[in-house]
Amino acid sequence: MKHKHTSYCVISFMLLMFVSLTSVSQNNTITEQDTITYKQKYGLRLGIDISKPIRSFLDEDYTGLEINGDYRLTKRIYLAGELGTEELTNTTEYLDVTTKGSYFKAGVDYNFYRNWLDMENMIYGGFRVGVSAFSQTLNGFTVYNTDQYYEAPFTSTESQEFNGLSAIWAEMIIGMKVEVLNNIYVGLNAQLKGRITEDKPENFGNLFIPGFNKVFDSGRFGIGFGYNVSYLIPIYNKDKKVVLGQE
Amino acid sequence: MRQNLLQKVFIFTFVIIATWSCEKDDICATSTPTTPHLIILFNDINAPDAAKNARRLSVRGFDANNVEISEQIIANIDTDSIALPLRFEGETPTTSRFILEKDTDFFLDDDPLTNSNIDIITVNYTPEFVYVSQACGYKSIFTNLSISVEPDADNWIFNSEVLNITVENETQAHIILRH
Repeated sequence: MKHKHTSYCVISFMLLMFVSLTSVSQNNTITEQDTITYKQKYGLRLGIDISKPIRSFLDEDYTGLEINGDYRLTKRIYLAGELGTEELTNTTEYLDVTTKGSYFKAGVDYNFYRNWLDMENMIYGGFRVGVSAFSQTLNGFTVYNTDQYYEAPFTSTESQEFNGLSAIWAEMIIGMKVEVLNNIYVGLNAQLKGRITEDKPENFGNLFIPGFNKVFDSGRFGIGFGYNVSYLIPIYNKDKKVVLGQE
Repeated sequence: MRQNLLQKVFIFTFVIIATWSCEKDDICATSTPTTPHLIILFNDINAPDAAKNARRLSVRGFDANNVEISEQIIANIDTDSIALPLRFEGETPTTSRFILEKDTDFFLDDDPLTNSNIDIITVNYTPEFVYVSQACGYKSIFTNLSISVEPDADNWIFNSEVLNITVENETQAHIILRH
């Protein structure tokens, strides 16, 4: 970082001198010599959401993995997508449920961050459409009864499986990706999701949808967070021209 | 400068996300209808649609082994309606029996000439488990409801009627007993 600052100073200083020189010559039109060109990398960035393997390691009720990627289309627009699988066992006083399935999300990211020089960091917003195919297993339940007159409330331990469920949702995403080493990025993002359709198992509900996360009884909205580490495979470079005095 | 700002935003956002616990407390609200009670009304045998208080009523149930439970569901009150818990151990046809003791005070006092009057009712039904929500899980409703009053030498309940063969909620009565 330090030497970038230094080089920026040097370049600015040189530009400044250049500007003063050219201004002396009273030349108002911008010529080829007035611009400096930087290489901008375009390519496919692939990564994983590191929070999922970490949670898998720490939380015995959870296993999950997500691969994500984006492909730079233009200066600011990226095609982006995520592919993942999750399994979660949810145990409450009254329910014991295992949800298992995979998901795919695709959409577009827009980079709001105005990088200077040859940097390619991102502060972005975007949207996704997500689809998940999953199954739910009701491992057991205790019937909710406010009246405790009789012995312990009835508990069923009969396992019931609900297969072939699916859900579709839309999500808005905001996040950032910062290049920490050459071509290696770390990022984090937050997602706000809204369910469009969902298969509800008969006489049961979805507590969790892979990729969508926790289902709230109160509405169709959900939230999610991601922590990514990714690697940019540069495919081609495009020149970014910086016009003098207009940085 | 800008790089610094970027780092600050990154760290700030990271801390916010890391400390944000998104687990909402999943508590089953008391306003949510769950496993209902059996609602019984007491009407007058001489005016079948008119409510009539059962005098000094006490109610007790029986456990799974058909042994009387000493704890009272209703204890020595004047009332024209009662709510009874139904027993269930699965979704198979089940029977709950209840002791309805009228004039409980006559049993409790010292006068040997007066006594309470005990009638036993038998309620048959089939429990059915219905999903409510994440917080409440499943409730039980009861279908195919039927009732009979066990005959004895001195029944104070003369007649019974099932109003609703399904016990689904507590907003309306399911059974009328006339006395």
